[in-house]
Amino acid sequence: MVFAWKAAGLTYNRFLAVSARAVRRSLKEEKRLVAERRGEMDLRFAKWEDGKQGDVKHLAQANTAANAASSS
Amino acid sequence: MNSLRFARAALRARPAAIRAPLQRRTYADAVPDKIKLSLSLPHQSIYKSQDVVQVNLPAESGEMGILANHVPSIEQLKPGLVEVVEESGPSKQFFLSGGFAVVQPNSVLSINAVEGYPLEDFSAEAVRAQIAEAQKVVSGNASEQDVAEAKIELEVLESLQAVLK
Repeated sequence: MVFAWKAAGLTYNRFLAVSARAVRRSLKEEKRLVAERRGEMDLRFAKWEDGKQGDVKHLAQANTAANAASSS
Repeated sequence: MNSLRFARAALRARPAAIRAPLQRRTYADAVPDKIKLSLSLPHQSIYKSQDVVQVNLPAESGEMGILANHVPSIEQLKPGLVEVVEESGPSKQFFLSGGFAVVQPNSVLSINAVEGYPLEDFSAEAVRAQIAEAQKVVSGNASEQDVAEAKIELEVLESLQAVLK
């Protein structure tokens, strides 16, 4: 059996993250605030080339961009 | 003299006990109809090897109920409702976002999921709003990845809406 998300190039990990996000957003207000804080990630990285630091990028944004590029 | 006779009686009695070890009842034999359930999320354990009577799971291969002495198996779970029937009181319902259930030998069941909450923690209004949003993405001209993610969300939200009624 091939899942629709698999056919679209998404990984199982991504599928779990998306479905968990939908579940968190469906909670009642006070529970949702606590749960969404848990899902927050703020990680930045930079690529060093020739001894110089490149642009500092957000990991989450770079991941979505890479995922979009790999699935299309 | 008397104590010697007792000691001899004890010596004679012991081999009988060794000969019949199978008749000894242990705790595990006395309650063979319970499953030890562990329901764990990355941030919380809802059940920690607690004795329950039955667990109903939304597996990818179909809905299934797990009782004691189930055949060992690994099941991928759909986003859906897990129902736990405890020894006393009404059964408890949790909505899990998808994961795996592992039925181990000796009536041990481990369920792993990313998110899971009791059904009463969900708001039908938030679900309805998200369904409308996801449907807009699916019918609009978004990228293939966005459409795929919106379809996952729709699947989760529709099964959530079905059990909330």
